[in-house]
Amino acid sequence: MTLLEVKDLHVSFPTADGVVRAVRGVSFEVEAGRTLGIVGESGSGKTVLTQTLLGLTPGAEVSGNALFEGIDLLELSDEKLRHIRGARIAVIFQDPLTSLHPLYRVGWQIAEMIRAHDKSVSKKQASERAVELLGRVGIPRPETRVNDYPHQFSGGMRQRVMIAMALSLEPKLIIADEPTTALDATVQAQILDLLLRLQQDSGTALIMITHDLGVVADIADDVMVMYAGRAAEKAPKRDVFYSPHHPYTKGLLESIPSSSAAGARLRPIPGTPPSLINLPAGCKFNPRCSYVFDRCLKEEPVLVPVGETGYHKSACWLPTQAAGLSAEAEVLREEIVQAQRGEAAAEVAAAAVAELGLSTSDEGSVA
Amino acid sequence: MADDDDVLVRVENLVKYFPVKAGGFIRHTVGQVHAVDDVSLIIERGKTLGLVGETGSGKSTLARCVAGLIPVTSGQVIFDGRDITKLSRGAMRPLRREVQMIFQDPYSSLNPRRRVGSIIGEPFAVHGIATGTERKRRVQELMERVGLNPEHYNRFPAEFSGGQRQRIGVARALALRPKLIICDEPVSALDVSIQAQVLNLLADLQTEYGLSYLFIAHDLEVVRHVSDKVAVMYLGRVGEAAPKEQLYETPRHPYTVALLSAAPAADPDTAAARQRVILTGDVPSPIDPPPGCRFHRRCPKAQPLCATDEPKLLPEGVSAVAEITAVVGQDIHLTACHFPVAVGENLATAARAREPA
Repeated sequence: MTLLEVKDLHVSFPTADGVVRAVRGVSFEVEAGRTLGIVGESGSGKTVLTQTLLGLTPGAEVSGNALFEGIDLLELSDEKLRHIRGARIAVIFQDPLTSLHPLYRVGWQIAEMIRAHDKSVSKKQASERAVELLGRVGIPRPETRVNDYPHQFSGGMRQRVMIAMALSLEPKLIIADEPTTALDATVQAQILDLLLRLQQDSGTALIMITHDLGVVADIADDVMVMYAGRAAEKAPKRDVFYSPHHPYTKGLLESIPSSSAAGARLRPIPGTPPSLINLPAGCKFNPRCSYVFDRCLKEEPVLVPVGETGYHKSACWLPTQAAGLSAEAEVLREEIVQAQRGEAAAEVAAAAVAELGLSTSDEGSVA
Repeated sequence: MADDDDVLVRVENLVKYFPVKAGGFIRHTVGQVHAVDDVSLIIERGKTLGLVGETGSGKSTLARCVAGLIPVTSGQVIFDGRDITKLSRGAMRPLRREVQMIFQDPYSSLNPRRRVGSIIGEPFAVHGIATGTERKRRVQELMERVGLNPEHYNRFPAEFSGGQRQRIGVARALALRPKLIICDEPVSALDVSIQAQVLNLLADLQTEYGLSYLFIAHDLEVVRHVSDKVAVMYLGRVGEAAPKEQLYETPRHPYTVALLSAAPAADPDTAAARQRVILTGDVPSPIDPPPGCRFHRRCPKAQPLCATDEPKLLPEGVSAVAEITAVVGQDIHLTACHFPVAVGENLATAARAREPA
């Protein structure tokens, strides 16, 4: 069952320097109970995308549709959206210290959240529920910890409090925006483990936004790779990691210092991501792409199916069979690119010859 | 053991405590933060020693002591044959040229109001080396070497991206041709595709100038990529140290095993097949480190002995009564654990069993 369906979402911010085109035509679906990982570098639009769905991007120019359980989130009034946010869709942010109020006890904050959405719950019931939730996310001695302030918790424990708060109204969808980036490795492992277990128990769908391909490899079912405000590649997890089609996805995977190539030279993606105010023509990745040919400079590719199943989609002009990290795939890509560049060169040459031919015949006639 | 000639830095029994003060008018010390507690290590010429550890493990404090930026509580830091812990400010000055640092955050480590040329040329000004057009020429050479456009000499840091700013930091560190560069999380703030560019640059510079690196990072894959020897720190102490391959392939300290299993692998099959060792609890406070082994409260293998006796850092098979000082950074696999993990032992099940219901 499709829980969330986003269609052709555009988000831009007018600024003094020009219009920042943060999200440019992104479509995706989230199925109930599944995890979608959204990967991208700084400025790829991954955070703006999800914040727009929740009405958290004031001042933005938004177009498109976002159907959640059949209701278009982008057309709801602030008041109606507030009922959905928290109760049906919960959010976990990167930094739990700034997302919790420092002057209120954590138990009160969780109880407040419950009572804000359901007035029929008594204060006592709400605080009992807070204790139960803190226990569920693995906080030791929840009945005393419920009366502590956020600063009395460590970073990992605070993130657990955030998760407890997100779970408090049994949402259908949780959006986690870099939930483990600020945490140490062993604590990150605890939190990912917790999220996975809670998801299995309650069947909640999860959107995991991260820049860390390792986190995605661990917990996602489907992956969307974003670049310059668009989906570069979208597929079930294994396709993205083992037969990436888009050169950006491939480049990301190859820039990670992996165990197999310890000490060997890394293959970084050259250059830097483009400015969202002055985007290049054609494919937005073309200035950094090693397989660039004529068409990439002129036309922006759209997502097309590249695998046999139809679930694996990529927005690249390379032919569909040119996927994967193997040496054979590399040879194939090189051949295709050479042929394309050759064709373009031949066309230029033909045009030149035609012109030259005309001029020689002119000369001929004069002579 | 490495020859003395090959050793650039020798740290002996380094201890660094920070006092915890309280009181209004009469400030008095109420405790000590045990930031670094009895660490001995060597850094070989032209090689890289990697330091890994979580927040509060003392890795950055150790690096600052090695750089001579903060006074040590006790112990020695011998740089190129001279103990720098006892030097006066004046005597320290020429040595400062030989040790440089690259910091984590390329946004806060560059003065936003100064032009890039003046930031990179600052070391020349401080040490009175090159002036005028000569300085400009050398700065532009450095910019070119680290992959920046020398024509951007007059730009401000804000006009550069994160990766380019980190290159500015590298150029500044390189200006005085140091022997040792301390890299404190140099790529943590960068996106993956940019991170690889900076790591390659650091590797090239090491080969070209014979630099030694003390490389601090929390990302185990990054440390594995750049280091020759690796030390794992936990609450101010070294838990395990070994040549890179040994540490990553046959880790012996339960903390190292947990840390390695916690690092996310960008490979779904590896991630699915891996037995994660999920540790319980957080890193304890370094103000009041637990008695015995500092890791025992989170350790899946802890026994009563671990709560009372602190294990010594020892080579495999050496008895705990032997009077030796284990020096990190050699070709020996050192572990500070009473019950080290055997090859093939499954810690994940033990960790699960200890989890609170």
